[in-house]
Amino acid sequence: MKWIIYIVSAFVLLACATTKQASVQLPGEDPQQTVAPDKNTSSAVISLLEKARDATTQGDYQRAEVLLERTVRIEPRNATLWHYLAKLRLHQTRYNDAIGLAQKSNNLARSNDHLKADNWRIIAHSKYQLGDVSGAQAAQVKAKNYGSQ
Amino acid sequence: MARRSTKKRNPKKKSSRRVSKARKPGKKSKAKASNNAFLRFIRRIPWRRILVGGTLILIAYVVYLDFVVRGQFEDKRWELPAQVFARPLELYEGLALNANDFERELNLLNYRYAYNPTEAGRFQRHDDVFYIVTRAFTFWDVKESSQPIKVVFSGNQVSSIKNQRSKKDVALLRLDPVLIGGIYPLKKEDRKLVSLNDVPELLPEILVAIEDRKFYDHYGVDPLAIARAFIANVRAGKAVQGGSTITQQLVKNFFLTNERSLKRKFTEIIMAVLLDFHYEKNDILQAYINEIYLGQDGSRAVHGFGLASQYYFAKPVHQLDLNQLASLVALIRGPSYYHPDKHPDRLLARRNRILDGLLEQKVISSELLAHTKALPINILEKRRTASRQHPAFLNLIKRQLREFYPESKLSSEGLRIFTTMNPVVQLDIEKKVKERVARLAKNRGLGKKLQAAVVIANSTSAEVIAMVGDRNPRFAGFNRALDASRPIGSLIKPVVYLSALEKSDQYNWASKVEDKSISLQGKDKSIWTPMNYDRKSHGSVTLITAMTRSYNQATVRLGLDVGFPAINDTYRKLGGPSDLPAYPAILLGAQNLTPFEVTQIYQTLAASGFRSPLRSIREVLDVDDQPLRRYPIQVEQAINADLVNVINSGLIQVTKRGTARSLLKRLPAELHVAGKTGTTNDTRDSWFAGFTGAHVGVVWLGTDDNLSTGLTGSSGALQLWGDIFTQMNTTGLALEQSEGIDIQWVDPDTGLLSKASCGNSVQLAFVKGSAPTEQGECLGSASGAGPGIRDRFDSTVEWFKRIFR
Repeated sequence: MKWIIYIVSAFVLLACATTKQASVQLPGEDPQQTVAPDKNTSSAVISLLEKARDATTQGDYQRAEVLLERTVRIEPRNATLWHYLAKLRLHQTRYNDAIGLAQKSNNLARSNDHLKADNWRIIAHSKYQLGDVSGAQAAQVKAKNYGSQ
Repeated sequence: MARRSTKKRNPKKKSSRRVSKARKPGKKSKAKASNNAFLRFIRRIPWRRILVGGTLILIAYVVYLDFVVRGQFEDKRWELPAQVFARPLELYEGLALNANDFERELNLLNYRYAYNPTEAGRFQRHDDVFYIVTRAFTFWDVKESSQPIKVVFSGNQVSSIKNQRSKKDVALLRLDPVLIGGIYPLKKEDRKLVSLNDVPELLPEILVAIEDRKFYDHYGVDPLAIARAFIANVRAGKAVQGGSTITQQLVKNFFLTNERSLKRKFTEIIMAVLLDFHYEKNDILQAYINEIYLGQDGSRAVHGFGLASQYYFAKPVHQLDLNQLASLVALIRGPSYYHPDKHPDRLLARRNRILDGLLEQKVISSELLAHTKALPINILEKRRTASRQHPAFLNLIKRQLREFYPESKLSSEGLRIFTTMNPVVQLDIEKKVKERVARLAKNRGLGKKLQAAVVIANSTSAEVIAMVGDRNPRFAGFNRALDASRPIGSLIKPVVYLSALEKSDQYNWASKVEDKSISLQGKDKSIWTPMNYDRKSHGSVTLITAMTRSYNQATVRLGLDVGFPAINDTYRKLGGPSDLPAYPAILLGAQNLTPFEVTQIYQTLAASGFRSPLRSIREVLDVDDQPLRRYPIQVEQAINADLVNVINSGLIQVTKRGTARSLLKRLPAELHVAGKTGTTNDTRDSWFAGFTGAHVGVVWLGTDDNLSTGLTGSSGALQLWGDIFTQMNTTGLALEQSEGIDIQWVDPDTGLLSKASCGNSVQLAFVKGSAPTEQGECLGSASGAGPGIRDRFDSTVEWFKRIFR
């Protein structure tokens, strides 16, 4: 019985490892904190995420944008993909777009609190940049609540 | 052929007239030199001045022509129409797609059957297995290379994709996109530019051998050839031979009209010499290869070998063989005289003469000649025309583009426009529109008057995937999808009910409202007394019943209670284009909207309250595949997602037990859809707006002169909507449990709590804490305590399903 558990957990670890590699990061972001793609993410989407990650590493954000939009078309209910798009918009200082996309991600995030916390941080930062200080503070509180759970 | 603009023609005419005027007096006077007075007159004529003046004018004319030749050749040689592409098909394991639709896509892409596909653009199919060699294509993000691929389908899904060479799985395969049209300048010339390096080496050899043997030796004109032609023409008494060099032919195509006159010939010769003087032979040949007229595709003129190769053979020019090249060269002399469909014999004979000529010139061997001569001319019978295929969709694209690009830029700079259209769905819908409208019109005796408009979009990305604006989808006239602004009738009701349900302390689906006659002062101070469709009042009814049955009197009472400001607020948040006027008939949809505007409103509902502007364009690249402009996905949370779940749970019931229940019989049981019918006074407009888990679609039927059609939303538009969605690849709408809602079974008549097993109970969403608490009879009864009959039946069905899976 035990060996089954070993094999299963090995597979799970492997799956996590491969999806983790496809996390789309921005410059200066802590890889440990970056939300990894959901383990059910299809290999088609993972292949695009890897390209998007390379594009952001090279500073080619427009190409990353195209690649991420392709992922969203393939898996429109995958919350993490919307989160990556939101993050990209934040980096591109397109704050209104970042807020909309982060809210979309939250709407699909179900019980993924880590993701929700990150989305609220994006919203908080964007609102702050847009001059909505009280909105930013409220979002920050939500980020903390989800983060602490 | 008509290459010149009138601007250029006029000055040329003027100057040539001046030249002849200067000479005339001289010629005339010579003939009549007989008396002294006349001789004196002759002597007084300033011959020298005339000679000098004439020469100066001639020089000026040559300088002018030189200016024209160089300007045209260097600055802007060709106006390139924009190319408009459908969305590229992306294949991956698990994609819901059936093998036949995939083959249709390949056909639209002009992929051709081959027993053993080895070159790009070929495929083979064995039932569910496809062997394809994809084409290379440059997109905004990545250049996709050509690959030999094996795609296996199972059921209605892609089950594996492998690269045949590396034997590795391909996670994601993007095909080249279908060309769906172009944006042409008035002249409608189209071409695909190629450089001399892109064409097979054989092509320049053939052109020189057949059209102009001394091309590399002469100075733009070949006097011997002209003399030969002159003699032949004099002998025949008419123009039978050209004697034009390639340079002259280019000049003719480039700068001149088809008119045959000595004056034109003179200009042509000067221009040819000038062109030859200024430019390399190979530059001239390359320009010729791109300029020459090779056929007509409807109103579009096919110019140059690059486009002709695509058009006649669905291949890039570098892949053409001797047979194909000789066939295209055969067309140079007259694409309509040698038309491949109308005069195949003439074309074949001309091709064979060309092949003979090539042997004579030692361009090809006698073996190759014999081999090629034995081949038929393999020009495609079904050539994909790129003009006026989907006028409504192209119209939408032009409108969205015009915000950034003037029409002149669209038709001249060779832009590559990547749109959101799904070409297979578009074609299916066009067919369904034609069939259904013809049938309904026949039944109602409406003849050709009944018109239709359809808009289908992806609900999350808000990408428009198909659009029809006329009962004849190929007719490029009035685009009703964008321009027919009509009263929306009951399509407004979800806006009214959503505004009510937002006040969750006052209303939920189980709340009661009076469906009772009401008289109000209307817009023009007259008394307005709305009636129900069945001309009856239904007394105290629940909100869910009032909406699913589309009761007018109940809705007006509810709307007045909720108030215009709240309703207008909801309407604008959903994407209504302008404020609603505040008079009672607005509550029943007196507002005019176009099908496109309605789609925007229902998109917001379909996307759980996340509004995205409807888009038809993804990217625009320039002629060199460089990125120009993107139209990104944008989402904005317009309405609380929980609240939208609540209204959508009611809209699902419209299709299960309400005015759209006829869908239940047509759609697969697991495909839940939500929607609303709309009918306007005297059945002038028949609407249905609905959505699945993936797509939103709006259908309108009516006549342009506002006649009564006898069609309600259910008997008209809904039928067409059903035709479309039963065939479309889409996913069902799931009523999902979320933090802010409670899902309950309710008796729609009493508004009391119920359960699945009870008679006519329905499952509805309620804003958290607002669900009814009072239990209905059925829930409290003994039969309700254990698992009900329906529960037991359902579980049995489940058990059967599991066994036979």
